[in-house]
Amino acid sequence: MAGFKKIKIKHIFILPTVLILFAFGIFPAVASLLLSFTNFSLAKVGEGFSFVGLTNYLRLFSDARFILSMRNTFIYVILGVGFQYIVGMFLAMLIYEETKINKFYRVVFLIPIMLTPVAIGYTWRMMLHGTYGPINHLLSIINLPGIPWLSSTIVAPLTIMLVDFWQWTPFMILALLAGRMSISPEYYEAAGVDGASKAQVFAYITFPILLPVSLTVILIRAIEVAKIVDIIYVLTGGGPGVSTESITLYGYISGVKQFNLGYASSIAYTILVAIMVFGFIFLRLKERFK
Amino acid sequence: MKKSLLWLLVVVMSISMIAVFSLAGCKAAAEEKAAVEEEATPPEEEVVALPYEGVELSVVSTVGPFTSGPIKDHSPEWTEMTGGKVNLIEVPFGELFEKIMSSLIGEVEVFDIVHYSAAYIGDIAGGGYVIPLDDYIAADERIAWDDILPSYGEGIAAWDGKTYSVPFDGDNHILYYRSDAIDNPEYKEEFKKEYGYELAPPKTWEEYEDIARYFNGWDWDNDGKVNYGTLEYMARNAQTFWAYFSRTAPYVCLPLGHEGYVPGGLFFNAETMEPYINSPGHIKSLENFIRMIELGPPDMLGYAASEVRGGFVAGDGALALDWGDIGTMAQNPEISVVMGNINYSILPGTKEVWSHKLQEWVEMTEVNHAPFLAFGGWLFSITNNCKNPDAAYDFLSFLTSPDISIKDAVTGLTGVNPYRYSHFENVDAWAQYWEDDPKLYLDTIMETIDHPNVQLDLRIPGAFRYFDALDVNLSRALSGEISAEQALNNAYDEWEKITDELDREKQLNLYRASLGLQ
Repeated sequence: MAGFKKIKIKHIFILPTVLILFAFGIFPAVASLLLSFTNFSLAKVGEGFSFVGLTNYLRLFSDARFILSMRNTFIYVILGVGFQYIVGMFLAMLIYEETKINKFYRVVFLIPIMLTPVAIGYTWRMMLHGTYGPINHLLSIINLPGIPWLSSTIVAPLTIMLVDFWQWTPFMILALLAGRMSISPEYYEAAGVDGASKAQVFAYITFPILLPVSLTVILIRAIEVAKIVDIIYVLTGGGPGVSTESITLYGYISGVKQFNLGYASSIAYTILVAIMVFGFIFLRLKERFK
Repeated sequence: MKKSLLWLLVVVMSISMIAVFSLAGCKAAAEEKAAVEEEATPPEEEVVALPYEGVELSVVSTVGPFTSGPIKDHSPEWTEMTGGKVNLIEVPFGELFEKIMSSLIGEVEVFDIVHYSAAYIGDIAGGGYVIPLDDYIAADERIAWDDILPSYGEGIAAWDGKTYSVPFDGDNHILYYRSDAIDNPEYKEEFKKEYGYELAPPKTWEEYEDIARYFNGWDWDNDGKVNYGTLEYMARNAQTFWAYFSRTAPYVCLPLGHEGYVPGGLFFNAETMEPYINSPGHIKSLENFIRMIELGPPDMLGYAASEVRGGFVAGDGALALDWGDIGTMAQNPEISVVMGNINYSILPGTKEVWSHKLQEWVEMTEVNHAPFLAFGGWLFSITNNCKNPDAAYDFLSFLTSPDISIKDAVTGLTGVNPYRYSHFENVDAWAQYWEDDPKLYLDTIMETIDHPNVQLDLRIPGAFRYFDALDVNLSRALSGEISAEQALNNAYDEWEKITDELDREKQLNLYRASLGLQ
C-alpha cells in the first residue's frame, strides 16, 4: 500500500513534464510523420487531404532541387565541420598554456557563439555586399578585385561555410581545450624524457587521447550544420540558383512558402533518418576508439 | 472536530472581512475618482467625441521605408482625427505572402488590415478571407473612387465582380536612361561607328543590349568611377521574375487583332491552362536577360530593387528598368547625383514576336511594345477577422484619399507610384519636389498604363507559387547552373504540377476571368 502511494506521488509529480513532452514533443513528431504520408496543403485547407502512401518519399528521388540541396548540405557538413575541427584543434593547442593573453583569447573566442545567427547573417551580409560592402572596399584600396561573396555559385557556398566557421570554431576550441586540460601531465613528462618531438607528442599522445572528445564535438557540429537554415536564409536566401540552399531551407520553403506540408514533412523525416544514421555510425566509431 | 469547525469559521470570517474592506475601499476610491473627474471634466457641450477612441488596428505590410513608410507617417494624423491607433507589423517582402496567408488560414496571428501585392488577390480575396468594400466605397466621398485609374480601381482591386481592396500604388515598369550619356554627341558618333545606327533611347531589347554593351565598364560621366551599361534585378527571392516578364512580354504578346494573337500570352494557354513559359519567345527573352550579367556591376546577380535604385541614382548605370521609384528617388538631392541627367521611356519592344497560335516567329513592321503592369501595385484589404471594419475602412479611406496619396506619390522612398487621375494632373504638386520637369515622367507612366497592348500581371490563386517556381529556375539560369531552355522547361513542369494540385478546371476558369474572357 505504501509502495503504491509512493508510485502514485511520483506519477503526479512527473505528470506535468510528461504532458508537456507529449504536447510539444511527441505529438508534433507523430503528427508530422503522419502528414508525410498525406497530400496535406495549406493552400487547399478547406478541401481536406488524403493518404498518398509513400508518394512524397518517392518524389524526393526525382526532385532535382532536393538532390541539390542534399549535396550542398553534405558539403557544408564535410568541408565546413572538417575545417572547423582542424583549425579548432590548432588554436586549442595554441592557447593551452595558462598565460594572461591566452586567458583573454579564451574569453574573446566565446563572443561569436553568444550572438544569434540571424544577427550575424545580417552583419556579414552588409560587410560582404559586392558593391557597397566594406570588405570589397578594402580590397579595392589595395588594388585587388572585388569578390562576389554572395552572388557567385562557387564563392557563395564558401561564404556560408566561412560565416559558420567564424561563429562555431570557438565551440571546437573550447571543447578541445577542455579535453586537452584534462590530460595528465605525466604523459608529456614521460614523452619529454624519451626525447619525443612536439609533432610526435601530438600524434601519439594528445590526438589519440582527444579522439573521443573530437568525435563528440564533430558529431554535435555535424548535426547542427545538417540543419543549417538561418545564416543561409539571411545571407543568400539559398541562391544564386540553388547553390547555397540547404536541405532544411528547402524543407522550409516547401512547407511554409509553397504550403505543401505533406511533402515538407517527408523532407523533415528524411533529414532525421539521415542524421540518425550518421550519428549511429559516429557513435560506433567512438566506441571502437575507446 | 470542534477545532476544525473553529478554524473554518476563522477562515470564512477573515475572507468575508477582506472582501468587505476591499469593496468599501473600491467604493471610496470610485467616489473619490468620480469627484476628481467631475471637477476636471469640462461641460458636456465642449467634449468632442472621437469616433474610434480605444480602437486598435493591426496592419501587416512589408519592411519600410518603401511601401509601409506612408502607413507609419500618416497614421498619427488619423489617430488625432479619430482616436484610433494603428499598429504596423513589418515583414520582409520575401516572407510577406506566407505571413499573411498563414495568419488568414491558421488565425495564429490575426491582422485587421493586410497590405499586399496585387498578385496575391486570387489567394486572399479568392480564398474568402477579406470583406467586400463596395458598400463602404459607395457611401464614401473622401476616397474619390472615380479618380482612381480604371486599370487599378475596376481591374486590379476587384475580384469576381466585387471590390475587395483599396489600391495604394500603381505599378508598372518603365525604362530609365541617362540622358547625359545617350544624348552626348561624341558618344553618338562613336556608337554609330561601332553599331551602325544612331544612339538613341532603345526601342528594342536588342538595341538595349547594344547600348548597355557600349556604356559598360568605363567612366563615361567623368566622375572618376567606372560606370556600367545596365542595372537589373537578378537576385533570388527578389523582383527578378517581374523584370523577366517585362522583358518577355513583347517577345510573346502580339497586339489584339493580329492573326497570331492569343490572350494571356505571357503565362498560360487560356483554353487548356498549359503554361507558355517555355515557348521559344520566353527562351529568347531569357537568353537576352542572361547576357545582361556581363553588362552590369560584377555582383549584379545579387541585385534586388534597393541595389538597382540606389545604384542608378548614385550614377552607376546608363540604363535600368524599374517601377516609378527611380524617378522620385532621382529628385532627392540627398541620395541622387543624376538630377537633370535622367530621362524615361516605355519599355523596349521587339521586331519579331513568337505566336503561340501560329507556332512561329512573326516579323513586325513596327516595333511591338507590350508594357507590363508588373506587380500591379499594392492593395489594402480588411480581413474577416477585423473586429472594427468601420474603423479599418476609415483609415484606408484617409490614407489613400487624393489629398494624402499625392504627397506619397510625389516623394521618393514611399514606394507609391501614381494611380489616380489627380496624381497625373496635379503637376504642380510634383514640381514642388522635382528639380526636373515631371511631365515626361508622368506621361511615360500614363503611356505605359494606357498602351493598347498592355499586359496585366498574373492574378490567380497560387500566383506566388508559380512565381516562386520560376524565380528559382531563373536564378539557376542567370547564375549559369543550367541553360535558359532547361530553366524554363523546369518551370513548365513545376507550373503544371501546381495547376494540377490547385485543380486545373478551377484555375482555368479563374485565369479566363482575370483576362476578361468570361
